Amino acid sequence: MNSFLFLAQLGVETAAPHVEGFAYPNEQHVLWSILIVIYPYITGLVAGAFIMASLVKVFNVRALAPVYRLALLTALAFLICAPMPLLLHLGHPERCLQVMMTPHLSSPMAMFGFVYAWYIMAVLLLELWLEYRHDFVRWGQTEPGLQGALYRLLTLGARDVSPEALKFDEKLSSIVTLIGIPSAFLLHGYVGFIFGSIKANPWWGNVLMPVIFIFSAIVSGIALCVFIYTELNWFRGREVDDECLDEMGKFLFYALLLDFSIEGLDWLHRLYSADESIHVLKQLAAGKLFNTMLVGQLFCGTLIPLLLLGSTQVFRQQIPRFVRRRIYYFSALLIMAGVLLMRWNVVIGGQLFSKSLRGFTTFKFELAGQEGWLVGLTLMVLPYLILWLFLRVFLPAKYDKVGHSQGPLHSAV
Amino acid sequence: MTSPRLPPQLLRLVLLTLAIIGTYSVARVFLTPATFGQFGHYRGAALEEAASRPPVYAGAKACDECHGDTFAQLTKARHRSVSCEACHGPNRPHVKNPDIVPAKLTDRHCVRCHLADAARPAKHRQINLTEHYPNEKCLECHVAHQPNQSK
Repeated sequence: MNSFLFLAQLGVETAAPHVEGFAYPNEQHVLWSILIVIYPYITGLVAGAFIMASLVKVFNVRALAPVYRLALLTALAFLICAPMPLLLHLGHPERCLQVMMTPHLSSPMAMFGFVYAWYIMAVLLLELWLEYRHDFVRWGQTEPGLQGALYRLLTLGARDVSPEALKFDEKLSSIVTLIGIPSAFLLHGYVGFIFGSIKANPWWGNVLMPVIFIFSAIVSGIALCVFIYTELNWFRGREVDDECLDEMGKFLFYALLLDFSIEGLDWLHRLYSADESIHVLKQLAAGKLFNTMLVGQLFCGTLIPLLLLGSTQVFRQQIPRFVRRRIYYFSALLIMAGVLLMRWNVVIGGQLFSKSLRGFTTFKFELAGQEGWLVGLTLMVLPYLILWLFLRVFLPAKYDKVGHSQGPLHSAV
Repeated sequence: MTSPRLPPQLLRLVLLTLAIIGTYSVARVFLTPATFGQFGHYRGAALEEAASRPPVYAGAKACDECHGDTFAQLTKARHRSVSCEACHGPNRPHVKNPDIVPAKLTDRHCVRCHLADAARPAKHRQINLTEHYPNEKCLECHVAHQPNQSK
């Protein structure tokens, strides 16, 4: 019998209108809301974009060379915004420094600070610098004014562009990328780890959580690169490189397939092992999260893109180029929305049911306020604005000659 | 024979790394509170600061001095384990100066403890606000200081 009906018959129910069934007093308000949804979404995009870039460097996928720099700059623009949701959520952003000054191993936030610092400085900025050093020297000589001064400053005084020096850059950059892959996994796996280690919550406490987060991150990062690459070329009035786009579409499809399989495996395992929480989790998925999980994340964000991208893999020769481009673009948008909804389902969903496993609370999204729509929207738009600035300074149209040839291979010769 | 030379770009990176670590170390000296680590992994002076904050509660004994009758009623009733200020709020200023009138109680004070909630013990009296005389005031029927009596 439905446990809620049973309780209602006993005449025992809470009076609070937003609560159904049993819920303890401290479970009635959702404390982690939109900002904590956006935080793993943004770090996921960073990790995904970086891993996408590393396909060029480490796995030597030359077809993706046109998006190498774009992917790195995208990762940097989003990484700058990654801690912002947390700082805003804490309400005392000035205290963030304290956690770095007096870190403790038992503090996940302090450790995040170091993982973040390592990733941004030892991986991303270093790789970008090595990639761009040659161009900084060149552009510093040709560009007038402030922009030229900025390029000269960014060379850090290392102006040797002899073939030996560039070869050394290339070698060092490969090593940095090699270190960068586990670092990207660490940065985003850490987010999955935070949720996965909360064993009191059956929606979160799961060893697969870091793996699920990593794969969804890779998927969203590649989708973001497809979206930005297409938009940038459209904005600059330039033809996209179809070989590159097809390759991205291929990786996007396989990454999504893996992500879907792992999440499906997680659900199969939960359903088969059917521990005491399974009833409330099923009710959660089919009730409160029906729209965001089954319709949004699964159907629109996973199955439709799988079908669309799968068709481009099977019938590539038969599908005209311009249709393929639209399929990739549309799938990327759907996937990005689906991954955002996945973060929503994890973060909000995990707080909607009671630890009694016999009740639910309701989440009401406010418009303004610290954790409202407006703040969320601003944080989602901000990385794109930063990226726009980066593209103007570091990937200017006049130097981004064909949109097809830039990349590590270009600067190495 | 020439000695092996560090590539210039690597030299810059090493210097930059040292500068970052140096800046962090210097910042740590200045930004770590002086009493941090005195007793444990926290600011030692925080204890003294917390202890030096003026108390805001007066305590039931202070209430008894002026409101002896009401206090006597309360100590014989079911609410005897509930301190005066648990409902009336912290009232040290009122004790010092009786002209400062404490905030008036409303029904919200009653339902803080008596709203139906499955997490509460079953023997604890609980009501559903939408069913239990929804348009009436609690104190129209109940006597807060003697809850086992009705008006």
